Amino acid sequence: MSLLSIGLLYGGATLFVMFLGMPIAFALGAVATLFMIIFMPSGSVDTIAQNVYEEMASITLLSIPLFILKGAAIGRSPAGKDLYGALHAWMHWIPGGLGIANVFACALFAAMAGSSPATCSAIGSAGIPEMRKHGYSPGFASGIIAAGGTLGILLPPSITMILYAVAAEQSLGRLFLAAIGPALLLVGLFAGYAMWKFRREFQAALVQYKLAGVHSELLRVDTLTVYDKFALLPRVLPFVILLTGVMVALYGGYATPSETAGLGAVLALALIAAIYSVWTPRELEPILIATLRESTMLMLIIGMSLLYSYVMSYLHISQSTAQWIVSLELSRWVLLAAILLMVVVLGFFLPPVSIILMTAPIILPPLKAAGFDLIWFGVIMTIIMEMGLIHPPVGLNIFVIKNIAPDIPLRDVVWGVMPFVALMMFAVLVLCIFPEIATWFPDAIMGAK
Amino acid sequence: MAHGLDDVETGQAAALPRRATDRILAFVNDLVVKASSAALVAAGFVLTYSVIVRYFLKISTDWQDETSVFLIIGAVFLSSAAVQAMRGHVAIETIVGLLPPRVNRVRQILVDVASLAFCAFFAWKSWTLLHEAWVDGYHSGSTWGPPLWIPYSLMTIGMTLLSIQILLQVIDETRRGSHPR
Repeated sequence: MSLLSIGLLYGGATLFVMFLGMPIAFALGAVATLFMIIFMPSGSVDTIAQNVYEEMASITLLSIPLFILKGAAIGRSPAGKDLYGALHAWMHWIPGGLGIANVFACALFAAMAGSSPATCSAIGSAGIPEMRKHGYSPGFASGIIAAGGTLGILLPPSITMILYAVAAEQSLGRLFLAAIGPALLLVGLFAGYAMWKFRREFQAALVQYKLAGVHSELLRVDTLTVYDKFALLPRVLPFVILLTGVMVALYGGYATPSETAGLGAVLALALIAAIYSVWTPRELEPILIATLRESTMLMLIIGMSLLYSYVMSYLHISQSTAQWIVSLELSRWVLLAAILLMVVVLGFFLPPVSIILMTAPIILPPLKAAGFDLIWFGVIMTIIMEMGLIHPPVGLNIFVIKNIAPDIPLRDVVWGVMPFVALMMFAVLVLCIFPEIATWFPDAIMGAK
Repeated sequence: MAHGLDDVETGQAAALPRRATDRILAFVNDLVVKASSAALVAAGFVLTYSVIVRYFLKISTDWQDETSVFLIIGAVFLSSAAVQAMRGHVAIETIVGLLPPRVNRVRQILVDVASLAFCAFFAWKSWTLLHEAWVDGYHSGSTWGPPLWIPYSLMTIGMTLLSIQILLQVIDETRRGSHPR
């Protein structure tokens, strides 16, 4: 059988079992095992357990459950609400300040918790009602939260980035740093849009008021006392210190990325015990169960994806596809556009973790040959996958919003989110024109590559 | 999507009379989840200890990373059956909603049988690996060099529990097929 037919069969079989609704981890493992039995030397299948173990037994990969634990500990405590309240108290005087406070709260929380849906639900459950109370349109309010939540997989420590670093054999520390500039760019774009949109809604409300005397909550100005501004700080600051402390430990060379994960998890548990007195086994149980559930699901997908790409590479499917792409001699930008389009389409069906592990051996060699910086590409790919979290058909964050604000029609949420998808596309364009936004920071801190 | 965990179907399964095997497995899963939670937190402490020892006491670290690997890999594999019991291993469900219920039940059984075949095969290969590691005394290649039967046994038990869990789910599905509610 020719290589091309084996490759097509491999891809086809995978799509078939996945669309049948077989759990992604088992589907990848089963297809890989089947192809080992049929196409690889007899005996190679005897080592699958060992293959999977050896691929998974990396402390970098296994730090993922600890990052999830840290996120769950912070995400399931009232920290999100307090963080949001504090930012609101400090920023409410800016026109559109409430929206901007929400964007900032999402960014900060995302950096602490590292998960998009957790960020959406933690900040959104306080932020959406507050914004609606102040007259923001429901679509706009949900758009801010859905988009703000996506910063979770871009800001360090991001699970998606850990996997990319492993798959692309790039430095994780460098990748984390490279994401900071683009994340700030996105925060700036989101906040700018929130301000602009607020002014438009505000003007419309003002006109309504002058013409028909209809009073809108948008026109009301809150007055918060100095006490309001400082009351929440003691509860919020420790988490911000935790966040910066862990980053300092990582970049100051005190801890490896995996040690940072362990340290972060332990400190997060200590903080919720100290600040919110969550420490009894009964109170910790939901946090731990949520962590295990997500980690086990994710780690099995990761382990099986690695087996899947091992088989793909043993059978030379990935190398030949990569060579074929190179031989097309596409211009750099056409190649990049084609690959990003593929990532978008895959994002309709697959979680980011499998997209990265399954496609990395195929798409990275051509990109490297075309002279793209793989750290930079990791950031771009992550932003593209973030977009998949807020646009249909999957749009996980949209469903989180639907959960916390069930009375907002799905239509409004989707339309409210669309401008943010456009902003993210714009950010990708800006990063293509000015790659330094991503590469400058790691180069400055860790030295040029 | 990676985080989209819904308690699908657990409610339906609970509607059937529970057999002793179900109860035993549920008990085992509960124990295993507790042990896995403890292992995860322990791994966090081991890594924290590692930072403290290396940077404040200037003692070189050798066993911490590997211990954490064993703890976390054990937690992941051991709790995979409990996660399967909640149907927590995500799948693409695009077409599932479009199928008529009868067809969908057949699909569910087929998918579960395929998952069972894979997991049972994997569990069997883990048993042989564990046996080899035990008999030939495999050790990890690091300077600390702990015996590999420790993580292998956790993986083996986990995959075996997972296979049993899926088997029970397949039996439930077929029973529900013959006794339409």
